[in-house]
Amino acid sequence: MHYEFLKRLENYVPEHVQPVPAAPANLKDAIDAANLTEMWDMILALDYSVSDADELSPEKRDEFINVMSLLLKAFDR
Amino acid sequence: MLTRPDTYFSELGIKSIEKGLADPAVSAFYDSIMSTDANHIQQCLKPFLPQLSLCSDKMPDNAPPPIFYVGKESGQRHLFGEDWASPAKSTSGLRTPDPDLEEASADGYRKALEGTPYYGYARTKIQVNGELYEIAFERLIVAVRPSAHSDLRFCAYLGVIQDLQRTF
Repeated sequence: MHYEFLKRLENYVPEHVQPVPAAPANLKDAIDAANLTEMWDMILALDYSVSDADELSPEKRDEFINVMSLLLKAFDR
Repeated sequence: MLTRPDTYFSELGIKSIEKGLADPAVSAFYDSIMSTDANHIQQCLKPFLPQLSLCSDKMPDNAPPPIFYVGKESGQRHLFGEDWASPAKSTSGLRTPDPDLEEASADGYRKALEGTPYYGYARTKIQVNGELYEIAFERLIVAVRPSAHSDLRFCAYLGVIQDLQRTF
């Protein structure tokens, strides 16, 4: 019985572990297709000081993805 | 009693900046942009980015271009709030929430996109979250490319709120 209890603990996911947002591959594809890759890279470098969105914390990544969604719409023809 | 129109948008022109009449934040950004060559425009933008709003070069129906980036310390974020500046989900391009302000401010973007930085002063009434304010601000809009030979172009907007009063 004690052993069963430990096994359940192993499966426990602490509440403070934040889920990593799903990679928005389709958004990056859409950015590339719209010829906006340079803007993606520019905002990432200037505002977030990284070269790859995967280096961002979950909060920053969400924020960046929202900006990129707006970028796509802003340049929509 | 002095009467004046509710809405007043006026181009002051870049000569006013060069004469030292603009807000120091506007002057600093203008000087930096004008003294930077096209290969280093990104490094030039970096220190000003928190104060800037960035929008595209598209003006559908002659409206100001949709915004995609609102700096953390920008006048627009201060005025319209976090929920407006950083929408969690967006269904369309980001625009200022006051239709009259949108219409009146379009000319500045058009001039900037024609190739000359636009520097102007505006005083108008705006609606924010159902409340009416009178606002006075100066703004500089420049059209830039992310690199020297890029096909892309976007507008960088730096607005300085000079006065903001709630009206009833």
